[in-house]
Amino acid sequence: MELSESVQRGLQALADASSFDQSSFQALIDVSHRSLLSSHGDPAVLDHPELKQIDQILLKQVHTAATTFILEAVKQNADKSTISSSLEELTFSAEKIEIFYSIYQKHKKELEHLLASIGRRPAQINDISWRLQYHMKNGQVDKVNEPFYSISLNSEKDGCSEDMNFTCTMEQLQDLVGKLKDAAKSVEKASQM
Amino acid sequence: MLLVLSEEHKEHLAFLPKVDTKVVGEFGRITMEFLRRGTSPKIYEGAAKKLCVPVEIVQHGVEGLMFLMLESSKHMLSEVDFLDSVLVLGFDEELNQILLQLYLQHHNQIRSILSHLPSSLPAYHNLEWRLDIQLASRLCRQQVIPMLTMRLLLTRGCDSHSDYSSRVLQADPSTLLYLISTLEAALAAIKTSHGRRILRNIK
Repeated sequence: MELSESVQRGLQALADASSFDQSSFQALIDVSHRSLLSSHGDPAVLDHPELKQIDQILLKQVHTAATTFILEAVKQNADKSTISSSLEELTFSAEKIEIFYSIYQKHKKELEHLLASIGRRPAQINDISWRLQYHMKNGQVDKVNEPFYSISLNSEKDGCSEDMNFTCTMEQLQDLVGKLKDAAKSVEKASQM
Repeated sequence: MLLVLSEEHKEHLAFLPKVDTKVVGEFGRITMEFLRRGTSPKIYEGAAKKLCVPVEIVQHGVEGLMFLMLESSKHMLSEVDFLDSVLVLGFDEELNQILLQLYLQHHNQIRSILSHLPSSLPAYHNLEWRLDIQLASRLCRQQVIPMLTMRLLLTRGCDSHSDYSSRVLQADPSTLLYLISTLEAALAAIKTSHGRRILRNIK
């Protein structure tokens, strides 16, 4: 895994047994994971009893390095051997590597989810609702007597929900359903490859 | 049902029996052009000169004829009803028949023109789709996420010949299956006994 110099330095400080014993190391790794997953930035995130003894500036540098390392590992979908060898190079002891990896494993899926959800994409379809109506007459024409559907498609983009309303005749709805079924068939075929 | 013609309308139409039947046919043509493309004063002036009558008489005659055709088409008058409605004008049999032929020839067209008038909601036009698999993003490498990207084309309100509005949407495979099952239920609703009963009986 490629890491910048400042991250490497921060991690080396974390590896140093004189600055971080096993319990404070575990506390820091735990806190680092939680701070990534919490939805609000919390200024008190580093206020852990185990971490009170440590120089606050060093603590911040180490926290930054650890969170960067965690995110990089999730991004690359790094396996255990990759993480272990990276940490070994940075002079981490075998016990610290184990502690790190077990906490990382616990939170990995959630972190993956979080990263996958960040980014731009087209509006996602959430829901569809329909009404079947019978058009009898209107101001211009009498005796229309045709059934039609009112469809409402709900989609979401960047947290904003939007409704798309449109009408269709029975033939048009059959066309729409036919096309959706073609799409579903192609998904099924692709999944069997 | 019978059309009820106002006095003013009857007055306007009173011009028709005074002219040659060919002229009535010509007025019929002008009427249809009026409905399709609007009219211009030149047409009325030309006809007025040829017939030696004031322009307003010609104009009223054409407009009266047009209104008669419009109302008859709007209500889908049967032949009998049309002839009965026109009876009150006191025209002779030949003129009545000409008017009837005019109506029969054009009422479908007139109805289709009228049906474009009411403002309507956007209507479905087409759906384009493609299946993509997302492999990576800026924050995540090594992904395998199947994604259905679709482009929904809708007509814009009133005129179905104008441009289409298009929206790009995405759905994952499970949402796609949900959409299909919901819309299939919608299609089935027309075929229920309730649906059939309404369609049969409201005519």
